[in-house]
Amino acid sequence: MREYKIVVLGSGGVGKSALTVQFVQCIFVEKYDPTIEDSYRKQVEVDGQQCMLEILDTAGTEQFTAMRDLYMKNGQGFVLVYSITAQSTFNDLQDLREQILRVKDTDDVPMVLVGNKCDLEEERVVGKELGKSLATQFNCAFMETSAKAKVNVNDIFYDLVRQINKKSPEKKQKKPKKSLCVLL
Amino acid sequence: MLSIGALANIKHTLQKELFLAAGERLLSVVTVVKKKDKKPCYLCVVTTAPPVPVVTLVLVKQSEQRESEYKRKRSWQLDEIKSVDGRNEQFETHEFDLQLEKLYKWYALNLHERQNFLAVLNRQIQKSVRGQRAEFRNVPAAWLSEKSPEKVALGRAAQKAEHIDDDEEDEEEEAQEFTALTDKEANELGKLFSECDFAIKDAEQFIEQLSRELHDLDGANIQSVLASEQKVLKMMEHIDNAISEADKFETRLDSYEDILGHVKETMEKIGGKNAMIEIANNNNIKLMKELNKVISQLDLPHSQQQALDEPDLKTANGRKAAIAAAQCLQQAMNSDIDPALLRLEAVQDQRKRFEKWKQKFSATVSRFMNNLFIHLGNEIGDMPVTSTDLTLPNHSNVHRELTPYTELMHWTKAMDRKTYDGLMRVYTASLSKIYDRDVRNFFNLAKMQVSEKLRSSREDLDMSTSSRKSAVSTIPYGTLGINRDQWGPGVESADRIRFDALLEKVLAELEPIALQEQLFCINFFQMDVISPTTKNTQTTLEMEKAVDMSQSAVLGTAISPSAEGVPQKRIDRQINEDVRKLMMGLFGCLEPELVSFIQSFERVDSFYSLYVLVRLTQHVMSAQDTHSFLSMTFASALVQVKRNFDRFMQQQLQSIREAKLHKRSKAILPYVENFENFAQTAEGIFRKSDRRTDMEKWYLQLVNAIFEGIHLHSQEHPKTPSQVVRMENYHHMYALLAQLKVPGLDALKKDAKSRYNEALKAYVTQYFGRPLEKLNLFFEGVQQKVAQGVKETEISYQMAFSKQELRKVIAQYPAREVKKGLENLYKKVEKHLSEEENLLQVVWHAMQEEFIAQYNYLEERIQKCYAGAMINLEFNIQDILAFFSDIARSH
Repeated sequence: MREYKIVVLGSGGVGKSALTVQFVQCIFVEKYDPTIEDSYRKQVEVDGQQCMLEILDTAGTEQFTAMRDLYMKNGQGFVLVYSITAQSTFNDLQDLREQILRVKDTDDVPMVLVGNKCDLEEERVVGKELGKSLATQFNCAFMETSAKAKVNVNDIFYDLVRQINKKSPEKKQKKPKKSLCVLL
Repeated sequence: MLSIGALANIKHTLQKELFLAAGERLLSVVTVVKKKDKKPCYLCVVTTAPPVPVVTLVLVKQSEQRESEYKRKRSWQLDEIKSVDGRNEQFETHEFDLQLEKLYKWYALNLHERQNFLAVLNRQIQKSVRGQRAEFRNVPAAWLSEKSPEKVALGRAAQKAEHIDDDEEDEEEEAQEFTALTDKEANELGKLFSECDFAIKDAEQFIEQLSRELHDLDGANIQSVLASEQKVLKMMEHIDNAISEADKFETRLDSYEDILGHVKETMEKIGGKNAMIEIANNNNIKLMKELNKVISQLDLPHSQQQALDEPDLKTANGRKAAIAAAQCLQQAMNSDIDPALLRLEAVQDQRKRFEKWKQKFSATVSRFMNNLFIHLGNEIGDMPVTSTDLTLPNHSNVHRELTPYTELMHWTKAMDRKTYDGLMRVYTASLSKIYDRDVRNFFNLAKMQVSEKLRSSREDLDMSTSSRKSAVSTIPYGTLGINRDQWGPGVESADRIRFDALLEKVLAELEPIALQEQLFCINFFQMDVISPTTKNTQTTLEMEKAVDMSQSAVLGTAISPSAEGVPQKRIDRQINEDVRKLMMGLFGCLEPELVSFIQSFERVDSFYSLYVLVRLTQHVMSAQDTHSFLSMTFASALVQVKRNFDRFMQQQLQSIREAKLHKRSKAILPYVENFENFAQTAEGIFRKSDRRTDMEKWYLQLVNAIFEGIHLHSQEHPKTPSQVVRMENYHHMYALLAQLKVPGLDALKKDAKSRYNEALKAYVTQYFGRPLEKLNLFFEGVQQKVAQGVKETEISYQMAFSKQELRKVIAQYPAREVKKGLENLYKKVEKHLSEEENLLQVVWHAMQEEFIAQYNYLEERIQKCYAGAMINLEFNIQDILAFFSDIARSH
């Protein structure tokens, strides 16, 4: 089974963990606990093929920015999350994308731009058009999601798997490493 | 005031009453009052009828007795009027004076009347007075012209009395045809008549004489015409002379004019010159000002030049002078001079001189600071480290030593970026040596303290359990899936508290040192200002930009770094990045040392990642400056600890899944037993932590895995029945979860309870079974018959279920036998159940309940089907209770 290393990035409090946990465990976590780093594995079927997703849920708070280079080096596909209720989280993504392209040293990186918390329509400050145009600029997929209302959550990851498949079609089936943990 | 209508009316009245009788006509009237007596009277211009109209001015008064009676008071000929004074040309003037034999002052009641009166009076005077005419003063000129607008206005106003108006118009025209004879003509005519006084007698003779005279006159006239020709010629001559004279005069005038023209031109030229001189003067003044400005800006006093040439940076005074001079130089080099002026050679020269000074001074500063940094680095580096305390040395003395040079560094940053960068590198290299050594010592000491503790606790352990020495295995202490006696050595919770305290001390020790160094660097290297990287040597025209940039840099220092909006965020980020890079250079070994220190715990205590996670999180999440070097270093270490934590938990999970049962395994499975200790340790660490969520996530996974394990292992347990394994383990888990009170595990706690109850029920059902088996079978047969339609009361008539048969079956269960059976059962249960769980009483009680239920059922059946037969079991409920309690007590 092919393994897909997916990294979820974005500013603090945009709902990276909520999206990930909703996808992996089908639970909505209401409480906010800043993540340090969590990794999850989930097997899904995409286009008739079994895939093992290794999802790395990262910290959004500023202290942990030094780790990002490493995440970007190891990840194959990236979920860039902002909250439609906070403009600054949207603005931060530009730098994040540039960093990914720099680390990967290519313009073509599987990526999905995600505007989360779309259930909070009355608190919206980032318009959907704005998100779309940023995605056009990034040349990547875009969706507005809600981890709470379970809107578009699975699509993020399925889309990313398809992007990875398209970019690098499966060659030889190597036996992937079991553990996600990094030995220090 | 009288209205126009009234005016017309009074005119009409006067005409009718007074003048008509005398054949006179009233041309104009004005109602006036004299100043003294208020009674109004009327001034009228009256004319007699044609052909020879005589115009007079009449003053009419109203009779005092009878209102309708008017009297002529006085009248004057028009030539008696010497002057008329309107007093004021304003229309609103009521007064007017008439100079007759004396001065009359009138006050007209109606302004229109007054106007009309004056106009008519004037016209009549113009028309009929010869010789000296009355002078009109202060009367509007328009009134005095024939077609005065007032007349038209009057005509319009008097439209009511149109017919009167028409008459008046006609008569006025008639009057105009008459022209008075001039005085001269009158005299001539008089003389003529007097010479020919006979004419009246003989007109024919008179005519003849007249024609004769006319003839004579004709001839005389011709003669005189002829005679006048000479005079005319003479006159022509005179005129010609006059013309030539005039021509001469004109040429002279022309020449004068020419001269004047020259003068004018000259004057204009002089004026222009004067203006030019003035402009030149102004320009000179401006130039002077500009030059003064340039000179004052570019001038560097001699004393300062000296200070720059041979700076004395060692003494405070020398430093002060050097800094002041350097700042003056900077100011001069950045002075705001018009770009055009920069082409001046003097300015260029001065700039070159500046440049030389700058380079020389910069080189001196660079050399001096360089030496100072290296010296300070070596000085401290040479000091032996003897401290055995776990403290990180404080280098504020270095900072103190360097602080006086702060302004020099700022100067260097602004003026000579290359030198500044070089100095920064030297500083980093010198200081990083010291910090490197300090940090390594510090962590070595800390690690030593860890291993000391390890040794002391290990010795205790070894002494108490020397037998296990051989069995020191690779299985880490606390592994859930493995029996306790196979674990490697571990530590007590007291040790953990000591380790935690040690870690806290290490972190707390690092924070102030790093913060102090960071603050010093920001200040000393002016890192909170992004200065232009371009040089400030303004020898070319490019310097305009440079000036702008350096000005913005100066601005930047003046204004706090939150002056601008969005780009400020970027600037901040850049500053943070720079500071972090510098700190990274200074404390390069901190992160690996910290990580290695943290990992030194791992060898001692497999649970280390739990409390290190909690402790480090406190420091990382509570940090104010989340972007600082130390915060990010700690954060990186934290991520690694978190990974170790997850790995540890993953291993625990795995150990549960892979746990194997041995022949001598106890009923309580190892992971269930170990989980208690594990959970209590974890709770002790996480109880008040923000990271509870991380732990609870794993609790869920672990407990679920344990439940799965219990289910799996209960089937393959060597000695104990699976129901008992399940019952005891679930009961254990339930008790533990109830005691832990972890909110996230509430659902699993309930789950454990129901699983336990289920297992208990299954066990009782299986092993208690039916001790009165035959009786049960007998009544099952009875029930079948009843189901086939036999009445319950008629059951006893059936052969197989007669009273005798029932008695026979009952006789097989005497009380003694029943008790014996129960005793055997008790022994079996006792053997099944483990002592630790202490569920024997619970199970026994459950069995007693079961037995009573079965007994009650049978009794009820007997009463229903064999009522009145006086059949009973050989023991009653009291007996059963006694059996159970006797058995339980006796064991």
